[in-house]
Amino acid sequence: MSNINNINFIGRMSSAMSSTVLSRIPNMTIANKKVLNAINTVGAKFSSPENRLILGASALMTQPFIDASNKKVDEETRKVSVARTVAKIIAGTFTGYFVRAGCIKLIDYMTKLPNEVVNPKTFGGKLKTLFTPDAAKSGILKDLTKYKNALGTILALGVMLVTNFLIDAPLTKYLTNKFVDYIHKNDAKREEKA
Amino acid sequence: MSMSSLFNSFKNYMVKYYGSDHGKMLVHTGVIGWVLSAAAQVVAIATNDKISGKQKLYLIPQELADAAVNIASFYLVTQSFKALSNKLVNCGKLLNKPVREFLQANNIKNVGKHTFDVLRDGNLNPETLEKFKSFRSGVDFIGTTVGSILSCNIITPIIRNEIATHKQKKNLARMEKYNVQIRDNETKNTVPYLPKPTMQTFQAKAYGTSLKI
Repeated sequence: MSNINNINFIGRMSSAMSSTVLSRIPNMTIANKKVLNAINTVGAKFSSPENRLILGASALMTQPFIDASNKKVDEETRKVSVARTVAKIIAGTFTGYFVRAGCIKLIDYMTKLPNEVVNPKTFGGKLKTLFTPDAAKSGILKDLTKYKNALGTILALGVMLVTNFLIDAPLTKYLTNKFVDYIHKNDAKREEKA
Repeated sequence: MSMSSLFNSFKNYMVKYYGSDHGKMLVHTGVIGWVLSAAAQVVAIATNDKISGKQKLYLIPQELADAAVNIASFYLVTQSFKALSNKLVNCGKLLNKPVREFLQANNIKNVGKHTFDVLRDGNLNPETLEKFKSFRSGVDFIGTTVGSILSCNIITPIIRNEIATHKQKKNLARMEKYNVQIRDNETKNTVPYLPKPTMQTFQAKAYGTSLKI
């Protein structure tokens, strides 16, 4: 009983807190057409592949520097850590983007509305509506963009179960070793000059 | 039974849970993706001959901590960003111009209040409703992505490095202790080496004690 009271108390507290925070934020209206178009485009067209690209690009701008500033480990470990982080971001973003985008394309091909299929009774026609939900066939759901993106991302997860081991990790290993070799060569050159 | 009907329950589930919620799908797939990725990366580190044992003691915990912290911070930070951005739009604090003008023109009250819900209380017409949904979806994606950048690319690397450093130090100390123990045992168990055993030395060794008696 006391647990339920505690949960209710926490719920009331969090509701009160969010209400207080919200009351302090002024009402905002976005009127700029360019900004509005950008937000609408992002909402309508961007999905997990783009999310992966944005995360990858921003990761390259932050993670290597955070690794390089970890002075609690020795210099050699730090260098390997930076090399591996950069390699992992490149490999992960590359495979992540293409696997997700490819899966969404595949789903797009197999999730057509009935009126988009020329020969619905042939094998090719049936394939094109294989993932079309009933709600779309009966006309209730008219925009399948988000459904397709979600389905494509789920399929990408299954594909990535394989590619993580067959492409991602070996590519990260290969790139890490290349970067470490490059760092060592640079260090040797610097020592020679000194 | 047609090919398409085989997936009916799966398709209906997808429409119900992810059909209109972009951000939720990104959160769920992100979490599973990290676990899979971490497993593959740990195998890659462990089998990389060019990385020394000492470095592996740092990189493997770093990878494991990366996945664990990522999941935690994704749920805490990214979900908070997603919830906040959704709440701002749903209660009418943050709106696009056409929807704001519609609400003002129809004299809708309490817009922007904690309890207000644009979809429930706004009485939007179909055209404005479409504009609202499109705007909400965009803000949701932006909120989720900003939250992801903060959690995955700033908070997680800082915390995972701290954890990995601590683990490496602990494991190195444990290894050193183990090595010292082995060295000690080797010294204790050393048997004097006889370079050239002869019958005399053998007899002295075997009967030395009894002869004394």
